[in-house]
Amino acid sequence: MVNFTIDEIRSLMDKKKNIRNMSVIAHVDHGKSTLTDSLVCKAGIIASAKAGEARFTDTRKDEQERCITIKATAISLFYEIPEKDFQFIQQEKEEDRHFLINLIDSPGHVDFSSEVTAALRVTDGALVVVDCVSGVCVQTETVLRQAIAERIKPILFMNKMDRALLELQLDQEDMFQTFQRIVENVNVIIATYNQEDGPMGDIQVDPTRGTVGFGAGLHGWAFTLKEFAEMYSSKFKIEVPKLMKRFWGDNFYSPSEKKWSTTGGEGYTRGFSQFVLDPIFKVVQSIMNFRKEEYLKLIEKLNIKIAAEDKDKLVEGGKPLMKAVMKSWLPAGDTLLAMIAIHLPSPVTAQKYRTEMLYEGPHDDEAFLGMKNCDPNGPLMMYISKMVPTSDKGRFYAFGRVFSGTVATGQKARIMGPNYVPGKKEDLCVKAIQRTILMMGRYVEPIENVPCGNICGLVGVDQFLVKTGTITTFENAHNLKVMKFSVSPVVRVAVEAKNPADLPKLVEGLKRLAKSDPMVQCIIEESGEHIVAGAGELHLEICLKDLEEDHACIPIKISDPVVSYRETVIDESSEMCLSKSPNKHNRLYMKAVPMPEGLPDDIDKNEVNARQDFKIRARYLSEKYEYDVTEARKIWCFGPEGTGPNLLIDCTKGVQYLNEIKDSVVAGFQWATKEGPMAEENVRGVRFNLYDVTLHADAIHRGGGQIIPTARRCLYGCILTASPRFFEPVYLVEIQCPEAAVGGIYGVLNRRRGVVIEETQVTGTPMFVVKAHLPVNESFGFTADLRSNTGGQAFPQCVFDHWQVLNGSPTDAGTKTRQVLDDTRKRKGLKEGLPDLDQYLDKL
Amino acid sequence: MLYIIGLGLADIEDITLKGLNAVRNSDLVYLEHYTSILGGGADYKNELEKFYGKEIILADRTMVEQNSDEIIDAAKDKTVSFLVVGDPFGATTHTDLVLRAVEKGIKYKVVHNASIMNAIGCCGLQLYNYGETISICFWSDAENWKPKSYFEKICENRSRGLHTLCLLDIKVKEKSLINLIKNRDIYEPPRFMSVAQASSQMVQIIQEARDYVMDEDDENLTEINLKKLVEANILTEDTLAVGLARVGKDDQTIRVDTIKNLADCDLGSPLHSMVIAGKLHPLEIDFLRLFYNGEAQVKFDDLVNSHNDFYVKK
Repeated sequence: MVNFTIDEIRSLMDKKKNIRNMSVIAHVDHGKSTLTDSLVCKAGIIASAKAGEARFTDTRKDEQERCITIKATAISLFYEIPEKDFQFIQQEKEEDRHFLINLIDSPGHVDFSSEVTAALRVTDGALVVVDCVSGVCVQTETVLRQAIAERIKPILFMNKMDRALLELQLDQEDMFQTFQRIVENVNVIIATYNQEDGPMGDIQVDPTRGTVGFGAGLHGWAFTLKEFAEMYSSKFKIEVPKLMKRFWGDNFYSPSEKKWSTTGGEGYTRGFSQFVLDPIFKVVQSIMNFRKEEYLKLIEKLNIKIAAEDKDKLVEGGKPLMKAVMKSWLPAGDTLLAMIAIHLPSPVTAQKYRTEMLYEGPHDDEAFLGMKNCDPNGPLMMYISKMVPTSDKGRFYAFGRVFSGTVATGQKARIMGPNYVPGKKEDLCVKAIQRTILMMGRYVEPIENVPCGNICGLVGVDQFLVKTGTITTFENAHNLKVMKFSVSPVVRVAVEAKNPADLPKLVEGLKRLAKSDPMVQCIIEESGEHIVAGAGELHLEICLKDLEEDHACIPIKISDPVVSYRETVIDESSEMCLSKSPNKHNRLYMKAVPMPEGLPDDIDKNEVNARQDFKIRARYLSEKYEYDVTEARKIWCFGPEGTGPNLLIDCTKGVQYLNEIKDSVVAGFQWATKEGPMAEENVRGVRFNLYDVTLHADAIHRGGGQIIPTARRCLYGCILTASPRFFEPVYLVEIQCPEAAVGGIYGVLNRRRGVVIEETQVTGTPMFVVKAHLPVNESFGFTADLRSNTGGQAFPQCVFDHWQVLNGSPTDAGTKTRQVLDDTRKRKGLKEGLPDLDQYLDKL
Repeated sequence: MLYIIGLGLADIEDITLKGLNAVRNSDLVYLEHYTSILGGGADYKNELEKFYGKEIILADRTMVEQNSDEIIDAAKDKTVSFLVVGDPFGATTHTDLVLRAVEKGIKYKVVHNASIMNAIGCCGLQLYNYGETISICFWSDAENWKPKSYFEKICENRSRGLHTLCLLDIKVKEKSLINLIKNRDIYEPPRFMSVAQASSQMVQIIQEARDYVMDEDDENLTEINLKKLVEANILTEDTLAVGLARVGKDDQTIRVDTIKNLADCDLGSPLHSMVIAGKLHPLEIDFLRLFYNGEAQVKFDDLVNSHNDFYVKK
């Protein structure tokens, strides 16, 4: 650990080209936290006053009990890069070899992916950790995809090499093949989501460039090809970068002929095996097999220094010695820190290409330029990505990244929530920032100000923001783009206080819960029920525990979990739907049509959105989905919330004063798509066409009071005449297990309407991976059920995958659809049964 | 039997004798209570009840528009009176009610009365010279509701030399947008638009249109059209208009001035109406002179001259 005063840390912050903001991301159990520990031990910064008492890894009690990370934690690291490595930095750098690395360790369990999203927003680079035994898993792909979408540059670390060596006893060629397969898998994902000619350029990971590391976090050793190339460089008289290329792929060496070849053949060995794996194998095997003479010779030959306290281990050999030797030969901290400093972008580099994606405003205003140039003297632009609870109950630190300008204690700033619209006053507060603080693990230190490119916390902002927001000093600033989560809160429960008198405490507790978690939703239903919605069972469990123990501090009653559905249609409306306004003078004619497959997802992913230029959008829709260009240009709005996956399209011809009722029809559309006709669930994947309108000649008789309810009724009629259906959420489940347990998995999946889509053996291991689609509704208790049916050998990971139409008409009793309709309506306190069409449609 | 009875404009005594007899012989009496209010008073229901010696049921918008069957069904075997301020087929038409009554085979009779549509003659502009009647609505920023289409209609009337009767917005019992969407029965307090508000709205339209800058390939047809109309000077801040308050009552007030000046006038308690003058006949000018409140008479002639300029040039 490094001891620093606040002033020393502050001076590092000004050297923005030597700052690296990065997150560690991976699938659950691939060893992120362990790896992070080795970095913290090597380079963690602690303020002098706190030295000795700081223990960074120790955060939440439940995190330790469950051995998983729940909340992302930020730690600052200090690194002085060796002279020899300094030249490898290709991007702009300071004339100074000192680096400040802000590292965020994120959770790997899918249920907490929202924490990852929040972490990615404030960082510029990501260390992707992959367990080389299990390979690339479902969550690896999810987080990597998110990282690329946020324009975060990845580097790869192959972890748990010790397991491959000692448990699986892989030979050198198999080990190379395993590594190469993982690198390929990762690059396939990168290629899928990143265009090589895009703003980030080529971000594929490549061992020959040093962007892939190998090692064992648990034992504290790691290397890249660079480390080994440096060892041999003088011997071969070949420059390090050139030699690194020889050490990977189809490059073979013959020691007898002292020649390189790309085809191999008699006497030739793969460069990677010969020069990288072979020394490691020799060291490990000799120590593990207690061949004392051999290993002592090796240690001397490789010039490995053994720490004084480990000297006695030299005599015994075995695992403790192996750990000590490897750690001192290939120290993980040095390797990783060098990788980070060399290959991950500084804020100066990253903000050049990230700003256009982050900023909603015009690409030439002061705020944009300040961010793009990472200018500490520009207007303040800071994004608050999450709220961190303080020791003071009910108060939070606002945690975020300064993109432009400098944030200071006492500075007056505009605090803008996600609903802020430039020029309006909603969701806006102008307040002084009470205090700026440094957040180091659990500890906080007040600091006078923080310049752009850094991550910090603010005190006193939590009252004005719900979860996230933008802080600025520039009056005409637009918002920084709201984060898009890869998971959605599809599982919900109703909560109530055991003692009804505690209701106010529950309400207050729910407010705090909503703040403390980026994803959780706390909603009050019309019926007065308090709903907590989360990404999965585990996420909800943790949230509810926090609610009961930390936020509300009262005993609560929790209902069985329920799933949220979406309402949709599968046909075109069977008739032209007509609704008359209450005064009968205005008439709307509309129809509903299902959207082509893929379009709702495109809208979810923002490929198609409300802010696009309508001409570009229309071209996209006509090319990809064969929409009529003229119609596609006349999209009135998206909904619900103005962004959802439903469209209202103006297909009228020459209706006078249509623009005067547009806002009213849009309001009715937002309302109708938020609460559909079947069970007041959100509507999804429906395109509504407005074909004709008859209006009263006088504006006073076609106001909102007349048009809004009429539009809603008409839209409801459209849905009901277009074969309405429910979408249910479906998880992609990935289960790892030994072969013997596969049968048990099939049994459990069958009982729960699960469909197996893939079953593969992990190459070189006895483990199997089963992938299946499982309706979220059937997933409650799935983990426990699976464990009991496989003797505890199978571990599932569920991640929301897609929406799937529930078969059966809601009008037929006995169908699943009907059952969902009845249950949901009953729970929400709505009138029984499918609403009558006559309520919504009028006759001519 | 369904009687649809006009109550006239001002006082409880404005009801016709025929109407009064019908009310007194009715089993049920409904009072339409959202498109206008009699004489602008707040609580005239009690007075009416006393005057008729009958209990009155208030019929709000929801009742008339959505639950009109209640009224019609009652008329099957009872005598029902449906009272409407003004004339039943005047400014607010209740044709829909009649259509539904006919559909159910119920007999109806209409008792007419004065409406603002004819009483407006009191300002001296000839009824024959009126064009299309328009309403001016309250604007709402929150609901992004800013209808301006009436401006085009006034201009149409003006360019044909016709006067325009402007009915000013009345919100007796309306829900706000948020309550409408949440389906809550919470109503906004009653509001009545004044001549000053209507005039300043028009001034605002004129100024905004004048300041509007057209882009290339501008597709905002409404704004472009408004700009053209304003630049043609069909309707300007100096056009003459008549503001009327409480027509038919003893304290009826009429004020003639330019639209610009009317934007600052205070004509007292509701209800207000307004007329935008078209081409003026000499007799009309003499009559309007009576209601001009300016400093000197000479000035009024100047106003009239500049008002008629538009037609002279034409």
